[in-house]
Amino acid sequence: MRRGLRWLASTRFTLVGMALLGVGAALSYDNPVTTPVWVLVIPLLLLAINLLLAIISNPAINRRAGLLIFHIGLLSVVVLVAIGRLTFMEAHIELVDGAAFDRDALFDVRQGPWHSGDLEAIRFIQQGFSINYRPGMKRGLTYNQLLLADADNRLQPVVIGDDRPLLLNGYRIYTTSNKGFAPRLTWVADDGVRISGSVNMPSYPLLYFRQANEWTPPGGDVIKFWLQLDTGLNEDANWVLEPNKANGTLVVNESGRRVELLPGESLALKGGTLHYDQLSSWMGFKLFYDPTLPWLFISAILTVLGLFIHYGQKFSAEPLLLNAKADDKSLSFSPGKTV
Amino acid sequence: MDELPWLYAALSAYGLATVVAFYDVMPIRSGRVARHADNERLVFSLLLTGVLLLVVTLTERWLRLGHGPFVNLFELLMSQLFSLGVIYMLVYWRLPIMRRSALVALPMLWVLGVWVLAIEPKDSVLPPTYHNDWLWAHIGFGKIFLSFCLIGSSLAGVLLLRRWSAFQSWFRTMPSDTVVDGLAWRFMLVAFAFHTLMLIAGAVWAQDAWGRYWAWDALETSSFLNWLLLGAALHARVSYKVPLRVGAVLILAIFIFAFFTYFGAPFYSEAAHKGVI
Repeated sequence: MRRGLRWLASTRFTLVGMALLGVGAALSYDNPVTTPVWVLVIPLLLLAINLLLAIISNPAINRRAGLLIFHIGLLSVVVLVAIGRLTFMEAHIELVDGAAFDRDALFDVRQGPWHSGDLEAIRFIQQGFSINYRPGMKRGLTYNQLLLADADNRLQPVVIGDDRPLLLNGYRIYTTSNKGFAPRLTWVADDGVRISGSVNMPSYPLLYFRQANEWTPPGGDVIKFWLQLDTGLNEDANWVLEPNKANGTLVVNESGRRVELLPGESLALKGGTLHYDQLSSWMGFKLFYDPTLPWLFISAILTVLGLFIHYGQKFSAEPLLLNAKADDKSLSFSPGKTV
Repeated sequence: MDELPWLYAALSAYGLATVVAFYDVMPIRSGRVARHADNERLVFSLLLTGVLLLVVTLTERWLRLGHGPFVNLFELLMSQLFSLGVIYMLVYWRLPIMRRSALVALPMLWVLGVWVLAIEPKDSVLPPTYHNDWLWAHIGFGKIFLSFCLIGSSLAGVLLLRRWSAFQSWFRTMPSDTVVDGLAWRFMLVAFAFHTLMLIAGAVWAQDAWGRYWAWDALETSSFLNWLLLGAALHARVSYKVPLRVGAVLILAIFIFAFFTYFGAPFYSEAAHKGVI
């Protein structure tokens, strides 16, 4: 038993764990979705056991402050990553201008079994965006406006974008490169029932050549939409995508009939009347939640701090160059600095 | 491009430093005694000139494009030539006992020099996710890591070349194999700490830039495997009596892996390390 524990705490077992983790990491190369998570979890578990036993039993580690801090830091990182995977949440949402965050509209939701974040506390309203583009359609900075309730429940404007997420209740909300136009429509059925909403067109300008979508109104046939846009898009020059300044003609195709609509115009169709209210835009957001992030950062920094403490002690105790001589004893030279 | 003449001048200075370093180990007949030249000061001056010319090159480009040399391969190679040059030059200056390692380090540096000459010097556009302070830390730590790796590798190269009698006289001013081995691993230890810092800063940047701190993209995975390999090599050295030359081969393998991580993975994969329209 004791021998087994010694083996589990040994640096030789560390090498086995590292080799297995290396295989797991290589299998995870470029994030293939088909790779089972166990190829990483098993080696990390073995390494965590190895680290714990080594910290407890190996005097080479627990009697050297630097190495002790380094190994405790590493163990903390492994444990926190595990807790993070159990409590995390990731999701996407697309919001049209004027729309409030709605947890029911989330999609691609992935979360750990212990996730306990409070999505109800996320309250903001999307207000549109502008994005700078440079020649070659290279995306620059995104400025996405939101209305956010302050402590007194008053709405305050906030700008987020790219690497400036909205931090709310432990959630981090990022803009994404996925965004586009959304014609706002109202459908008035023949019986007088009104439905208002928008049809999100494909991502713009990535799919500028395919701005089409379709919708089936209640009691009607499938309506195919195509959006003819005038955004000032110029692939060879600096350009700003500002949806609120863009013009869009909505081409409606229903049962082989093709009609062009401008904002404010209507079209009588089978089962009701379609009103093209205005051209709007939508932004795709990514939500991320992981309560371990600050602790993970602190542990990681402690790990490096431990390394530097250890190096400082080791290098000053064993100055390799102090007594070094040239291999050829007939030569003399200045020994230089201590390493 | 205004910066290209400066780049060519910097590469010429590095090239001359390499030539002079090799000239120093070529025996010169002086009367009846064969002696070696001693131009270490000249090598240092040429390295310093190369570094300063690269400062001008990078500054010129930075002012012209409005962003640092972080985006395309041409920029990465140029900035790496600068950072490797600076750190190697400092070690060359402060540790005279290691100066003959220039015979290994400078040709390694020249791999980058030839490469940068062979590729098209394209301009680049800074992706939106690169407007982040952590990017600086990430790249800075990465450059320090690779520089210490280069120094460790040049010492490993000395250990391996010394096996052949033809090269023994080249490195006779350097300490014994045991000391060179100890020094090489010390540089790798420091490289390990900076690699760890690079991964931490990269993770913080990735969290801001893409909403996740780790996603096993090609560059992240490659970089992590490199860290693991270096960590395993350090553990193997304390667990087993790794022969000096096996250790030297291991150090070179780590450097080659790091080299491909830096200059291969970001351009081989369409991973998130690039901007999206």
